[in-house]
Amino acid sequence: MKTKTVQNKWSWLLLCLSAVALLAFGSTRDSGPRTQADRIDAITKVLACPTCSGESVYVSRASGAESIRAEVARQIAGGQRSDDEIIAYIEARFGSRVLLVPRSTGLDSLIWVLPVFVLVCAVGTLGFAFRRWKVVGSDSISDEDAQLVERALREDR
Amino acid sequence: MFFASGINGALGRAFLLVGIIGSLFGAIAAITSARQRDQAVAKLIPRFAVLVFAASFGAFAVMERAMITRDFSLEYVQKVGSYSTPAIYNFAAVWSALEGSILMWVLILAGYTLGVTYWLRKKMDDVLSRYALGVMFIVSLFFFLLSFGPANPFAVGPEGVLDGPGPNPLLQNHLLVMFHPPLLYLGYVGMTVPFAFAIAALITGRLGEGWLLATRRWTLFAWGFLTIGIILGSWWSYEVLGWSGVWAWDPVENASLLPWITATAYIHSVLVQERRGMLRVWNLSLLVATFSLTILGTFLTRSGVVNSVHAFSQSAIGPWLLAFFAVIVIVSVGLIGWRGDRLHSPGSIDSPLSREGAFLANNVLFAVFAFVVLLGTVFPLVVEALQSRTIVVGEPFFDQLTIPIGITMLTIMAIAPVLPWRKASQELLSKRLFWPAWCGVLALAGSVWVGATGLAPLLTFGLGGFAAGSALRQVVLATRRQGLRGLVGRANGGMIVHLGVIIIAVALAASNSFTHSQELNLEAGKVASFSGHTFELVDVVEVKTDRATAVKALVKIDGGKAYAPAITKYVLQGMNVGTPSVKTGFAYDIYLTLEPPVRQDENKARIKVFIKPLLLWLWIGGGLMALGTVLAAFPGRRRKPTSPTSEDDFVADLLVML
Repeated sequence: MKTKTVQNKWSWLLLCLSAVALLAFGSTRDSGPRTQADRIDAITKVLACPTCSGESVYVSRASGAESIRAEVARQIAGGQRSDDEIIAYIEARFGSRVLLVPRSTGLDSLIWVLPVFVLVCAVGTLGFAFRRWKVVGSDSISDEDAQLVERALREDR
Repeated sequence: MFFASGINGALGRAFLLVGIIGSLFGAIAAITSARQRDQAVAKLIPRFAVLVFAASFGAFAVMERAMITRDFSLEYVQKVGSYSTPAIYNFAAVWSALEGSILMWVLILAGYTLGVTYWLRKKMDDVLSRYALGVMFIVSLFFFLLSFGPANPFAVGPEGVLDGPGPNPLLQNHLLVMFHPPLLYLGYVGMTVPFAFAIAALITGRLGEGWLLATRRWTLFAWGFLTIGIILGSWWSYEVLGWSGVWAWDPVENASLLPWITATAYIHSVLVQERRGMLRVWNLSLLVATFSLTILGTFLTRSGVVNSVHAFSQSAIGPWLLAFFAVIVIVSVGLIGWRGDRLHSPGSIDSPLSREGAFLANNVLFAVFAFVVLLGTVFPLVVEALQSRTIVVGEPFFDQLTIPIGITMLTIMAIAPVLPWRKASQELLSKRLFWPAWCGVLALAGSVWVGATGLAPLLTFGLGGFAAGSALRQVVLATRRQGLRGLVGRANGGMIVHLGVIIIAVALAASNSFTHSQELNLEAGKVASFSGHTFELVDVVEVKTDRATAVKALVKIDGGKAYAPAITKYVLQGMNVGTPSVKTGFAYDIYLTLEPPVRQDENKARIKVFIKPLLLWLWIGGGLMALGTVLAAFPGRRRKPTSPTSEDDFVADLLVML
């Protein structure tokens, strides 16, 4: 039994190491140059269609979205600007309502802060509850109860 | 015509009025008989349930009749009816706008009320049953009033209208419109049943586990339909909307997802209450949240405060729904507060590393998940109210926050199924998780080998393999022990549902992260290629019917069968609708759309090609979830009352050691 546990320990170590190695290799390797179409998709996914609420330019088939998509394609074909510069350019031209990602300043930042706050509160409450339960729940079983369980088990078999 | 024009309106209103009266008296009968323990009055309850159902069925049938006979005296038929709509879409047109969809809600709710009444027919002596039915009647009274007043489908429209535009073109070019809304509503509205029992339990003060066990299948039934409804909605989006996606975090989609999240949390945490008698307040809160979120979601999306592709035109039902939502929350919170002393549970959870600990962690995640979705949906309203400017909260926000939540959930799904109740030792975990964990590493290695990149997708694949290993381990052990019976029952069926969820998670990660797309300008006779496939334009054809003109590009993929992405111009609405064409495969779908502008030139077409990896598995996973839900609804192995709770763990350990 003892050797088995040790063996297990080594194989768990091996498992963890291979998982980390695979993750590191897989997530850092170069997947080849991005095509223009990939760049168009990536940019249009964070731009909102100006005429239809809530949809991205990538999703929408409305004419307003089509013209932004065409503009993005033109900018990328021009090859001068980076993705961020193109987004800034589109924002300057069409107004800030075409941004699909809420800003991280001012009132808008609440949308990023609140989920984290709620998560921390929830985890904190849970941690607190476990600590309290640990104090409450450590009562030991009386002999009488133990015998009762024993008897019940015997009858069940 | 058999009836004179205008009769449909009068008849429909009459049915609704009967429904209002029936619900009102049903509620009075149920509640007075519960308060005064009056058997004679209690006998009337089933009659009112039948009456209410008959009234709702009558109203719905009249609406269908008006739609089928194209009774253009009604405003609603003027809005969504048309002589040019094919019969099947005309039938579905009844629920293609606000008033009709509320009518469908009424019908389904009355159906549930009748079903619950029938199910309780031998337990009508029980006060709890009567209160629960009282709540059902009150909720149906509200929806009948909604349909009679602000969302009246039988309002008479202006005279002289001879034909209408028909439903939104998007709602008349795929058969799924017949199934997605009714199934989704079966789930959505079904959440009323556990809510009614929760309120009844609070009123009677019988807050033990009896009512929970009794309503388990109702909750599972509603949850299953909600799941299927959501997945069919994604399928519809994929097959109809033409952007190759399945989920857009649109407010209406979010409104259907929110009660699903809280109901899923409930399905898990209720097990802790059944087993340990704990989490009573939390479970009640989840049921109340689920029901009230269906109302809030309907308010957000049907009152015009939030715009979306699903949103119907502005209407007056907003204040009604908001008021009803407020009443639900106030009454529920009040009742929970009032019963606070009886809700206190004696037990304690010994270790976070236990089945109940894992359920708690799962619930924390689901609560945060629900909060994120709700926040993202209502935040634009808050900003608009406070600073009167419009902001858009879209997919990138939801992706950034929900992907980490999803990955953490997969981690819990990998570990939780093998955890015993009360406490797990390190040795036990190391033994039970060993092979599932290697499944995860194998899945990770496999996905790296086929070329997957990126941390989040790789984590999803690896943890998906791990979680699938854990679920399969449970299924294998159960079937070895009990044969085919090892597939039914809550725990085993639940593992099948888990497998479905894992497949969906993997399919979503793969299709979201590794979709490639390319626009191709095709010319007849020339072969274009993208991503290892060839595309050849055969023909561009125009198909004219009296309601629409479709331009189809026939494109041969790899020289084989021709696929026909189309753009259809609906004459009456003046709206262009693109219809994709998909070559489905187990490894990936090839998704073709015809891009505007449509040239009338028969040998040229601009198409867009999307390569969507593993997308088919989304529907397979959905099917597996449905199957698992059905299996979970069957009674599993019954424990003898004296059987110690960890017996199955004991046997499982034996099997593992062998």
